[in-house]
Amino acid sequence: MSKPSLNLPRIVLNDLWQHKWILLLALLVLSNAVAVVYTSHVSRKLTTQWDQLLQERDRLDIEWRNLLLEEQSQTEHSRITRIASKDLNMSRPLPSEEVVVKVP
Amino acid sequence: MTRQAKTKQASKKQKPQLIHWRLYVVVGFVFAMFSSLVGRAAYIQIIEPDKLRHESDMRTLRTTSREVQRGLITDRNGDMLAVSVPVRAVWADPKQVNDNNGFTDMRRWQALADVLHEPVEDVLDKVRSNPTKRFTYLKRQVTPAVADYITQLKLPGVFLKSESRRYYPGGEITAQLIGITNIDDVGIEGVENAYNSWLTGTPSKQKVRKSRDGHVVERLDIVQEGESPNDLVLSIDQRIQQLAYRELKRTTEMNQATSGSIVVLDIHTGEVLAMVNTPSYNPNSRDNLQTFRMRNRAMTDTFEPGSTIKPFVVAAALEAGTVKSTDVIPTSPGWMRLGGRQVRDASNYGDMTLARILAKSSNVGISKLALSIPVQQLLGTYQSMGLGSFSGINLTGESAGLIQDRHRWSDFERATLSFGYGLTATTLQLARMYATLGNGGTLYPVSILKLKKPPEGERVISQEVAHDVLQMMVGVTEKGGTGTLAHIDGYPVAGKSGTSRKAVAGGYGDDYVALFAGVAPVNNPKLAVVVVVNEPKGDLYYGGSVAGPAFAKVMSGALQMLNVEPISDKEQVQLAGIAGRTE
Repeated sequence: MSKPSLNLPRIVLNDLWQHKWILLLALLVLSNAVAVVYTSHVSRKLTTQWDQLLQERDRLDIEWRNLLLEEQSQTEHSRITRIASKDLNMSRPLPSEEVVVKVP
Repeated sequence: MTRQAKTKQASKKQKPQLIHWRLYVVVGFVFAMFSSLVGRAAYIQIIEPDKLRHESDMRTLRTTSREVQRGLITDRNGDMLAVSVPVRAVWADPKQVNDNNGFTDMRRWQALADVLHEPVEDVLDKVRSNPTKRFTYLKRQVTPAVADYITQLKLPGVFLKSESRRYYPGGEITAQLIGITNIDDVGIEGVENAYNSWLTGTPSKQKVRKSRDGHVVERLDIVQEGESPNDLVLSIDQRIQQLAYRELKRTTEMNQATSGSIVVLDIHTGEVLAMVNTPSYNPNSRDNLQTFRMRNRAMTDTFEPGSTIKPFVVAAALEAGTVKSTDVIPTSPGWMRLGGRQVRDASNYGDMTLARILAKSSNVGISKLALSIPVQQLLGTYQSMGLGSFSGINLTGESAGLIQDRHRWSDFERATLSFGYGLTATTLQLARMYATLGNGGTLYPVSILKLKKPPEGERVISQEVAHDVLQMMVGVTEKGGTGTLAHIDGYPVAGKSGTSRKAVAGGYGDDYVALFAGVAPVNNPKLAVVVVVNEPKGDLYYGGSVAGPAFAKVMSGALQMLNVEPISDKEQVQLAGIAGRTE
């Protein structure tokens, strides 16, 4: 039992070195597993974001519709005519009073 | 001996000894525990995974649906005519309300009733009347603000549901044309009805996985493929529509008429630029809706077109070659006898050119033209210009009018056909006939949708005849014509007035239909406008005086809006010269 050169870490390292491919594969498997977890987490976060953006789009669509109605009631032709003639003292020229400017 | 020795030895050395059975028990126990865990895990994961999966799905899987709004309807320039806005419906589950002691806090019910503008008894009655019922509407189409308030009331068994509400920014101006939808968003009138499936979408439903905090983390399969609704662009020009409605309303009121219609057509494409009717209604508030107001009279109601048909008799006669555009027709003494009946003019006009026959609206003159051609040919001309058939507008409720089809016609009946009795037409049909005359004799199908390219037309009268008849019609609005009130400074009009007595059972009654139809500007026609005023009750009932002013306002306004260059005085004189030469 007298073998002083017996160095345990060295043996372990040697042993590992001998099985380096298996070790590498094991490491790859592990990192792969972590990567799978990570990407699925990222994809979930993106899905959530996507969904929130869709909801935002719907909200904006509703707002747009309400703004359309408001715009439509503000720009109603008879309202414009009334404001133009009453408040701004404007009037539509008769066809015979019109001067046509032709852009060459 | 050995036993003795052993014990001795044991006691002597005191060496700890492995008690094997204990070890086995412990190892066995640990092994059993471990294998049972592995076994359980294997059982759960491999042999029977469905139950837990199901449990998980119950907690995370949700079906979401995306509501879609009914498509927009716009005019040709993008002005909104119908817009859907999401609102909420308030509903209750009476069983749940009763089971959860929902009536303990009456203040909340009072608040609910207040915000719904209904007596609290009515609201409670709906919920209490049948406690086993699972669904009852409390109020439909409430605004999002009210819906928020109701959510905060936290009444047990009271829920909200999305639905949509249709607004019509055009209001009564476009009411009959656009029509309305019912409370379930289905089009029941007008364009809404005719293009219902085009405008309607279906919500898409999708299965999703939601995390604990309610975020969607995974999208799974689509349960129901949604169909997005389509928008509709009408051929209507809302500016002209609004102008036409204003003038028609004023005319109807001033003449105390029962109803009226105006149709404006683009003569080169057959597109409807305006189609208005009185009396109208407000499609946004339907509390006291009267069905007679909802009819799109411009295409559903027929009338005898009266003198407005006369230009087409001239066209038919020119086409047949029995008269030339320079011919002079003797109408003296201002009346003529046909098979025991009399056709008469307002006065004795003597010898008349074709242009003067139209300008004075001479019944005798036009009857002579009609009698010069076979009756089938006259009716054929009417029919080829769209009388008696559908216009192609493709809306529900359109009437095709009536042209009698028979073999024997008396001379008097042939004469009445020439001044617009014995056949019926709609305002839209009359506008289409004038449009055909205006564009040089090509009949286009009428379209309510904005067209990308002009449709295939069908030539029904020759270009020369159409051109000649248009020139003859200028005199109607000039001095001495029957439609001077329809005269427009700057845009020469080829028009014709018409007044027809309304038929009642057994003859003709005392009510009239006053008409004015025409195209302008004559030098380069753009629009055909027809004004129909039904049963004017005032002192005036002639088409020229009742419908003429409205025609002039609508036509000049519309041409200005479309940036049609007005004609200068000099050109007008030249044009009058051309018209004069035909006389």
